[in-house]
Amino acid sequence: MEFTGFPYLTAILLSCVTGLLVILFVPDENRSAVKWVSAVFSGLTLALSIAVFLLYDTARGGLQFVERAAWVPSLGIHYLNAVDGFSLPMVLLTGIVFFTGVLTMWELDHRVKEFYAFYFLLVTGVFGLFMSLDLFFIFIWYDVSLFPMYPLIAIWGSTRKEYGAMKLTLYLLAGSALILPAIIFLHVQAGGTTYDITALMQPGTFSAADQKLAFLLLYIGFGILAAVWPFHTWSPVGHVAAPTAVSMVHAGVLMKIGAFGVLRVGMSLCPEGWQFWAPLMATVAVIGIVYGALVALSQTDLKFVVGYSSVSHMGIVGLGLSTLTVDGLNGAVFQMFAHGIMTALFFSAIGYIYERTHTKMIPELGGLSRIMPVASGYFILAALTAVGVPCLASFWGELMVFIAAFRVYPIGGVFAVGGLVLSALFMLRVVQRAFYGPPNDKFVHLTDVSFRLGIPRMILAAVIVLFGLLPSILFDVIDTASVAFIKGLP
Amino acid sequence: MIAVGSTDTTLLAAIAATKLPFVAFAVILLLTRRRPRLSAGLSLTAIAVSLASAGFLLVKHWGIARPIEYAALWLAGGDVSVRVGILIDPLSLIMLAVVAAICLLVQVYSLGYMAGDPGFSRYYAFMSLFAWAMTNLTLAPTLLQLYIFWELVGLASYLLIGFWYEKFSASEAGKKAFVMTRCGDVAFFLGLLLILVHLGNLDIRELNGAAAGRLSPTVVTAGALLIFGGIIGKSAQFPLLTWLPDAMEGPTPVSALLHSATMVAAGVYLFARLFPFFSLSPTALGVCLAVGTVSMLIASTMAMVSRDIKQVWAYSTISQLGLMIMGLAAGNYVAGVFHLTTHAAFKALLFLCSGVFIHAFHSNDMVVIGRQGGRRLRVPMACLVIAAAALSGIPPFSGYFSKERILGALADLPNPLWVAAGLLGAFLTTYYTFRLIFIILFPAPGGEDTAQSHGSEHGHHGGYAVMAWPLVILAAVSVALGFGEKAVAQFLLNPFGSVTPAAAHHAWLPYAALGLSAAAMLLAWFEFGRRGAGQIGFVERVAPLHALFGERWYIDRAYRWLLDQVVYRLFSRLCARNDQKIIDGAVDGLGRVIAAGGGRMSILHTGMVQYRLIVVFVSIALMAIYFFI
Repeated sequence: MEFTGFPYLTAILLSCVTGLLVILFVPDENRSAVKWVSAVFSGLTLALSIAVFLLYDTARGGLQFVERAAWVPSLGIHYLNAVDGFSLPMVLLTGIVFFTGVLTMWELDHRVKEFYAFYFLLVTGVFGLFMSLDLFFIFIWYDVSLFPMYPLIAIWGSTRKEYGAMKLTLYLLAGSALILPAIIFLHVQAGGTTYDITALMQPGTFSAADQKLAFLLLYIGFGILAAVWPFHTWSPVGHVAAPTAVSMVHAGVLMKIGAFGVLRVGMSLCPEGWQFWAPLMATVAVIGIVYGALVALSQTDLKFVVGYSSVSHMGIVGLGLSTLTVDGLNGAVFQMFAHGIMTALFFSAIGYIYERTHTKMIPELGGLSRIMPVASGYFILAALTAVGVPCLASFWGELMVFIAAFRVYPIGGVFAVGGLVLSALFMLRVVQRAFYGPPNDKFVHLTDVSFRLGIPRMILAAVIVLFGLLPSILFDVIDTASVAFIKGLP
Repeated sequence: MIAVGSTDTTLLAAIAATKLPFVAFAVILLLTRRRPRLSAGLSLTAIAVSLASAGFLLVKHWGIARPIEYAALWLAGGDVSVRVGILIDPLSLIMLAVVAAICLLVQVYSLGYMAGDPGFSRYYAFMSLFAWAMTNLTLAPTLLQLYIFWELVGLASYLLIGFWYEKFSASEAGKKAFVMTRCGDVAFFLGLLLILVHLGNLDIRELNGAAAGRLSPTVVTAGALLIFGGIIGKSAQFPLLTWLPDAMEGPTPVSALLHSATMVAAGVYLFARLFPFFSLSPTALGVCLAVGTVSMLIASTMAMVSRDIKQVWAYSTISQLGLMIMGLAAGNYVAGVFHLTTHAAFKALLFLCSGVFIHAFHSNDMVVIGRQGGRRLRVPMACLVIAAAALSGIPPFSGYFSKERILGALADLPNPLWVAAGLLGAFLTTYYTFRLIFIILFPAPGGEDTAQSHGSEHGHHGGYAVMAWPLVILAAVSVALGFGEKAVAQFLLNPFGSVTPAAAHHAWLPYAALGLSAAAMLLAWFEFGRRGAGQIGFVERVAPLHALFGERWYIDRAYRWLLDQVVYRLFSRLCARNDQKIIDGAVDGLGRVIAAGGGRMSILHTGMVQYRLIVVFVSIALMAIYFFI
């Protein structure tokens, strides 16, 4: 057992699990109690995430808040949690999206208790995955976060929800079917004594050939979750089918698990495999950027547009990871964070609009800016972030990734930068059709978002602007990890 | 900020000039949205302080030879560090003064023009956003900072063009402006990346200094041309020029501020900013010269047939920006920058005067304005004539001095074609300007007073006085600025050690230019001004020419075709189809195959005992064969 100081990370997990248990014991009929319990526990989780973020010592860098306990010693399985510059932004992101997701679903009145219970379970898995450094646990957490998606979408979803839920589950299980053999393979090749990533990371543990094989499996396996082209089609369908808060977690956090898994497991353990496959990653990423934007151009469902824009934006993350440079990694992780917040805001805004208008079809909307200026404002802010307007969070991630990509893959970089035009085109097209123009008579009686219901959107918008104006808060943290990471490359 | 002394008034003034508008923007958007008067007050205070600071800086550093630079780190990591700061030199000081002054005047004017609009607070918030972005763009010491604020002025432009977003044409125009300039910005951004990769940083002074000599000529040319792509987008040059006339869908003060005087001039400003860098590559300069010339000429032709008063000034803006680029590309730094300055004043004045007419008559159509008695509005009419004279380059108005300089620079070039193009441009400019003036001043008699308004803006009456003052001030500036030519030229050239190549004196040039202008004016008078004139221009008599000019040389149609047929129909549909049919088709197909396979397998599970016994028997037999043979 090794705990240094207060176990913040375990506290985060416990806060989620406790919240889950308390929710289960609240009577079914008492909906507002369920909501308040959820809000309190998710708020506590967010507070703890912020505390971890602030207490992390950037001057020292490296893994901090290490918590280690033997779990199954005979198999070499440890309960091992820690955060570094890569996982810290993800923990913060999850905390923010979790809390705002709970608040966004405040108007839910269908099987409230079950919804929040599954939702808490989902987030517990996500937190665990971001903090864990033990391969075995990473796999367990992956499946914990995957399983609740099915009921969440199939019960509370919309628009072909059974199909979407099934597709998503099958896809992600296919991903885990690639990850598991890769993990076992690595475990066995290293002597079969440990699943501890910090131990396995030692150079010389794996031969180059093993790394190439394992990395490919991990890249595809986790890449499915990151909606890497051409394994992306589950993602927009899932976004569309899922209820608002689940879309938020799904696009905001779950897709980051994929990219994070590639980084934490694939790139850390198989650096030579990463270097070998990097050109492939870059190619696929650039195709994803342009392709996602092109498909988004001809969508008529608000959520589909955002879903495909996520494919495009996650391509930027993939491109950053493939550059093997500090800037690329910095940009990729920053973009993961920024994209998470941005899509959460997107879906939160769409959720409010959908609740009122009962449609997400762009041609049926129109003129919403006049009817609900504030709610539309949040969507437009998210759209501008997606377009890459400076001083909004996403810009900095894209900037760093493009700089790195242009150095390493000039041609791919040119195409990726060209994708900016397309992203402006499809985003502004949606804004124009759905929010501008004369107001639709059907909707003129609708009310704008109230202050109380606006809180989650306000938080997300504030985060976007904060990190847009002061990106160094996040970059300084990420930089500690990526500099060490690139230095440690063979 | 590094090197902050509490007594460093320069820094304090620069910070006040660049940061206050942002404060105003944030406060208006967050707090005072429901209190229009307070919002306007905040915005005006911020920009007034900006202007005062700019004036203070200009006076304090008049005659400055060495640039002053302040910088702080915005972001550092890896190999890239993003600095934010302030660069003070003659060029940035002049531009800052122009920007702040026009911003203030336009915001005062807007008090009357936008009075009663439900989005009054939002309007002033966006105006402050623009002022913030534009002042920071002006004082940027690095290209990256310049790019960041370049994008932000684009955002402000998008928001302000589409200010009346309920109108389809307005929101469409905003989108078009953003996307088209984005096309140029992508080139600009690639240029930045190229320079960053080869030079290691994006410091403007370094780029203009000896460091650029380390770059290979190919890189310099490529970098300069890519950056020029951004200039083409922002300054609406050929071939990315069609967004600007559409941008006139925004409120008229916005057109005056963003789409004529300042934001679109940012492209020319960037060119001037990097003038020494561009000068390293004759190829790039040649391309710039050609693009400027083409833009100037074709935009003038478009202006000759338009009846929409704001459209005419929009085309004229494109054409004058082209002229500035010609001046700079011809190697005359002062000419380009000075014309930028004078143009800012008289073009803003033209727009603001037109705004009064539009406000009063609810029409953009010059014929309608003329018939309804546009000339009865004496102050704006007089100011309009002054500004038109300045635009046409008639002495003693300011446009004359700056235009002469540019024409002189063109005459210095070995190829006489350029100066001929410049003179032709001068002719066309005077023609379309006075065509408009005569149509409003001397409306054709007998025409029915058609009150139907063509695409009028929903203005509100009142606030005329508050709108008149900015006109008078701008008119005074338009008259006076020309006489400051020598001083401004000297000031601008200080950092270069005032070793300007003595331009060859072309004694014939002013006469030629004036003669052509006079001829153009006469022609306009003959066709539109004199009693009994048909008010049909010579272009309008030739149907194909009329169609060509009226359709903007079919450039817009080409873009529309490209967008609809190639981007949407071909690529976007193709990818979407591919997603549905091929990728998803394969996945769903796989699912079906597995399900069907399961169905086949289920046949085996019939539950008939005889059948199972057969299977058991056969299996045992097969195993026996396998093991024993």
